[in-house]
Amino acid sequence: MSNDLFIVVAYLVVSGGARIRGIFRRWQQPVLRGPEWFFNVHVRPDFYAGQGHKILRGYRMRMLMPVAIELIIATAIFFSGHFQNLAYLMVGIAVLIHVNHVFNVDAAERKARSFAVAEAEEPVPSVVLSLKSRRLRDYSNPKLELAIAVVTVAVFAWLVRYYLGSPEHHNFRMVFALPLFLLYVQFGYLFVKQIVVAWRTPVPQAGAEEHLKAREERRKLYLKTCDISRVSNVAALLIWPVFLSISPTKIKFFLEAWLGSLLAVSVVLTIWQEIRRKQVLALALRTRPAKLPDLLDDTPAPNWPVCYQPSAPMLVLKGTRGYSLNLANTLAQMGAAYLAGLGILMAVLFRTAH
Amino acid sequence: MFLTIDTRDSRPIYQQVVDGIKEVIARGDLKEGANLPPVRQLAADLGVNLNTIATAYRELQKDGLIAVKHGSGSVVASRTATERDEGELLRPLRTALTQLVLAGLPSSKILDIVVRELRLVTKGSQ
Repeated sequence: MSNDLFIVVAYLVVSGGARIRGIFRRWQQPVLRGPEWFFNVHVRPDFYAGQGHKILRGYRMRMLMPVAIELIIATAIFFSGHFQNLAYLMVGIAVLIHVNHVFNVDAAERKARSFAVAEAEEPVPSVVLSLKSRRLRDYSNPKLELAIAVVTVAVFAWLVRYYLGSPEHHNFRMVFALPLFLLYVQFGYLFVKQIVVAWRTPVPQAGAEEHLKAREERRKLYLKTCDISRVSNVAALLIWPVFLSISPTKIKFFLEAWLGSLLAVSVVLTIWQEIRRKQVLALALRTRPAKLPDLLDDTPAPNWPVCYQPSAPMLVLKGTRGYSLNLANTLAQMGAAYLAGLGILMAVLFRTAH
Repeated sequence: MFLTIDTRDSRPIYQQVVDGIKEVIARGDLKEGANLPPVRQLAADLGVNLNTIATAYRELQKDGLIAVKHGSGSVVASRTATERDEGELLRPLRTALTQLVLAGLPSSKILDIVVRELRLVTKGSQ
């Protein structure tokens, strides 16, 4: 099996599986609470018989847009034969799907609010914020962190030795491009974990315990998912030296064994994740959504989709056109820096590749 | 360890934050030397203006309840640093007692209320 075929199979297994699961999940999301709800908006009983049907259809069409874009680009890549680009497509589309989903849900909810039950649209008068301190290490498994660190250092040490052993015969990009990319993504996962741990917003005082419990379970699921992704990442890193050093006659067998194991593990983990997700969802559905009061005084309406408001340091601000990313927020700045770094890294890898 | 903000409350939000943090400290949920969330973070978490939290922290610092350490944020100050004039401390209690008396409550009932509230406030700090 060639490198190209490896990427194609990996793309079809990983990306295809994730897309089908994601489409199914997001398709159902607006109606999970029952016919009187559209996401977290308590709508009138006749909602889905009238305008609600149109709003729901619009949401689902917009939800499918990134997948349609992916199909077009993937088809172009398949025809061009530049299969290496599939890896970048996977990352790019994953980001696009999540960003699109955030804005899509917000837009659909705003439309549905015109058909909401009047009293449900009144913000709750009282909110509580937990002051309990949370640290990343409280949600980290020391043995897992140690294993990831040891494997990463060992792989890079091996790669340096391998490259320096015969630099004239080894292409620097061939040896280091993928591991460097994986390392950068590993830092990205840590950054996401930090955001998930630190994320804290007020909850309605009525039913605060239930809200906080549901939120904590969701936090744990997200963090576990991050850790699984980090382990997959480090497994891919670990396999790279083996791939470089194995004799050409054994590569086919090795790749097939690797892909088979990857597929089996992915299936098991996906099933586990679905079970956990349903448990977390059941907890979330027990809480009653409530509109929180706007506690910002004298703050000008933010520009959409990005704004810079140091006096209101939230990551996102709600404006007349929906949520706006606040670039004055430290996490937004770090996220922007990370994405810029990712872009530069990928550009460097592309340039060296051609 | 919760901070409650009530939009029906006549107190401004910064005052509710001040009183909320005072309660948390009094209950012993935030002990001496414990870190408070940075101003920027608490403002972002609560969804309020940066100045609201900055004012609340200044107020707490003025009362000697927190100490601002440059570079490491704010920490709960030691109780010895909060020694204040007894008359000043008694004034709000006297005002509250006056209101209860004027509301027509008998002394025994007022005493019950005071004991119950004191238990509530100091719960966890014993």
